[in-house]
Amino acid sequence: MAGSGSRGRSARLAVAVGGRVGVVPWWRTPTARRYLFGYTLLAPAVLYVSLLVGAPFLFSLYLAMSDATVGDPVAQFVGLENFRAALESTMFYVALRNTLVFTIGAGILKGLLGTTLAFLLLQPFTGRKVVRALLVIPFTLPIAISVLGWKWMFDSQFSVINWALSRLHLIGAWGSPDWPVWLGQPHLALASVMFVNVWRGFPFSAIVLLAGLTSVPPEVIDAAKVDGASFMQRFSKVIVPMIAPILFIGTAFDTVFTLSDLSIVYLLTNGGPDGATEILPTLAYNVGIRAGALGRGAAISLFLFPLLLPGMIVLLRTLRRRQD
Amino acid sequence: MATAAVAVPRSHRAKETRRHALIYLGLAPFLIIAVFPIVWMAITALKQEPDLYRMDVVPFWFNLPPTWKNFDILFNRTFYKDWIVNTMVISVWVSAITLVTAVPAGYALARLRLPFAENLGIGIFLTYLVPAIILFIPLARVVSTLDLQDSWWALVVVYPTFTIPFCTWLLMGFFKTVPLEIEEAARVDGCGQLGALWRVVLPVSWPGLTTAVIFSFTLSMQDFLYSLAFVSISDQKPVPLGVATELIRGDVYFWGSLMAGALLVGVPVAILYNLFLDKFISGITGAAIK
Repeated sequence: MAGSGSRGRSARLAVAVGGRVGVVPWWRTPTARRYLFGYTLLAPAVLYVSLLVGAPFLFSLYLAMSDATVGDPVAQFVGLENFRAALESTMFYVALRNTLVFTIGAGILKGLLGTTLAFLLLQPFTGRKVVRALLVIPFTLPIAISVLGWKWMFDSQFSVINWALSRLHLIGAWGSPDWPVWLGQPHLALASVMFVNVWRGFPFSAIVLLAGLTSVPPEVIDAAKVDGASFMQRFSKVIVPMIAPILFIGTAFDTVFTLSDLSIVYLLTNGGPDGATEILPTLAYNVGIRAGALGRGAAISLFLFPLLLPGMIVLLRTLRRRQD
Repeated sequence: MATAAVAVPRSHRAKETRRHALIYLGLAPFLIIAVFPIVWMAITALKQEPDLYRMDVVPFWFNLPPTWKNFDILFNRTFYKDWIVNTMVISVWVSAITLVTAVPAGYALARLRLPFAENLGIGIFLTYLVPAIILFIPLARVVSTLDLQDSWWALVVVYPTFTIPFCTWLLMGFFKTVPLEIEEAARVDGCGQLGALWRVVLPVSWPGLTTAVIFSFTLSMQDFLYSLAFVSISDQKPVPLGVATELIRGDVYFWGSLMAGALLVGVPVAILYNLFLDKFISGITGAAIK
C-alpha cells in the first residue's frame, strides 16, 4: 500500500520534469525523500540514546579495564586487573550469592502471589476497579519513598510490626531475645529487603498476568470445553501457551529491574549487617562512587550484565515475534 | 408458583453474596499488605513527636492530637520547597526533551515504512532495559565533563536516557493506531510530509502525547540511583533523594517529616501512574494488547 499521497507526488514530479521521469535523480524519488525524512525524524532520538546509553556502555567497558578514580581523571589501562580483584575478594562472592538469592527468591514469591491475585481479580465483583487501584499502589509509588516507609516500619524498637506481633504474643516484649530486629539480624535483614521487593513487585506480576488472561478470547476456551478438555487441560494446553509471551515479557522485565535496583537495599541496610544484604548494585555503588574507584566499580557492575542478558534476550525474541 | 418465582432470585442472590464474600476474603490480605504502609506513613506524618515513640499504647491511631508540625518543619526548616521546584523543573525539561525526540522517532518508525524500522524500534526499546546500575559510573564521567555535577541539570541530561526509549516505543504503537486516511487526505490537499505530521497527525495525537509526558514524569520520579550518584548539594536535589538523605542527622531520623515529605509527592505520583498503568503494561508487552 504505497499511499495515495506519494503517488500524487510522483505524478506531480513527472509533470514538473516534462514527462521525463527517468531522469529524476534517485535522491529526488518519493521513496528516497521518504527515507530521508524518516531518518531525519529518527536522528535526534537515535543520537541521544547512542551518545548517552551506547557510548557510556562502551565507556564502562574501558573504565572497567582502567585504574580510573573519581579524583584522578587520567586513567591507565590495567587490563582485566579490576575483574581479577573482584573475583579475589570475598565480599564479591557474598554480593553475588545475595543477588541471586534475592532475585530468585523474590521472583518466585512475586510469581505465586501475583498468580493468586490475578485469578482473584479475574472474577467479576462489585468494587473491582477500586480494589485494583488500591492494590497497585506499591508499584506506582516512587520506590525511594515507599522504602522510607518500610524503614520506619522495620525500626529496631518502634516497629509497628513488632508492636502487633508482640500484642498477639507471637514474639516477646522489647528487649527479650525473641524480639526481631528486622534490619539488624543477618537472615532477617535479607528476608526484609526481599519482602519489600516482593511488596513492590507482586501487583505488577498480577496486572501483567491479568492482562494476559483477559487477552485470551473466551471463544477459544469455550471451544476447548466443547471438545471435552478438563480445567487443567484447558489451563495447560490453551491458556498458558496463549499468555506465555506476556508472561515472559513480564518476568524478564521484573528480573531486570530487581537485579539492577539498588534503592531498597541502599536505603534499608546499605548492605549490612556485615554484608548480609550486600548485593552487586550496592557493592558497585560503594566501591565506584563512595570509595571513588570508578574502574573497580564499573567492573563489578559489569558482572551484572551476564545475569541481565538472558532476560533481555527473552524480551527481544518475544517482542520481535509479537511484531510479526 | 409464586413462592418458586420469589425463591429463585433469592437463592441466586445468596449465592452471589457468598461468592463476593469469598473473593473479598481472598483479597483482604493482599489489600492490607498493599495499603497499610501508606496508611501508616500518613498517620506518622500527622503524629506529634512523642506520640511516635510510645510502646504502651495502640500505635494505629492518634494518642495525642494530630498536628501539621511535621509539614511546617519540612517547608520552613528544610530545602523541601527547593526539592519540589527542582523536581518540577526537571520534569518539564525531561518531558520537553522526550517529546521533541520521541514523537518524530515514534512517527517515523510507525509510519514511514523505513528499512530496518522494526529492528530499530526494538533496538531503541532495548536501551530502556540497560539499567542505571551499569550506566551510572560512565555517566558520572559524562556529567563531570559537561561540568554538571552537583546540579539538577545533570538529571535533565540523564533522565531522557530511559524516557526517550520508553516513549518512542509507546508513541510508535500509538501512531500505528492513527488512521492513515486523514494523513493521506492532508497530502492530497497539498500538505508536505512534515506539514501532514504537524498539522493533521499531531492534533489528533494528544492522548499519546499526554501519555508520553505523564511517563516522562512518573518514570523520572522512580529514579533514585542517578540522583544519588550525581547530586549531593542539598538545595539541588529532587524530592525522593532529598527526603531520603536530608531528613536524617547521623542516626536520628525525623520520621514525622520524612513521611510527610515522602507522601506529599509520592501520592500524586502514584495516582497519576495508577491512571496510566494500563498504558504502561500494554506499552512494555508490545503489540500483545490493544
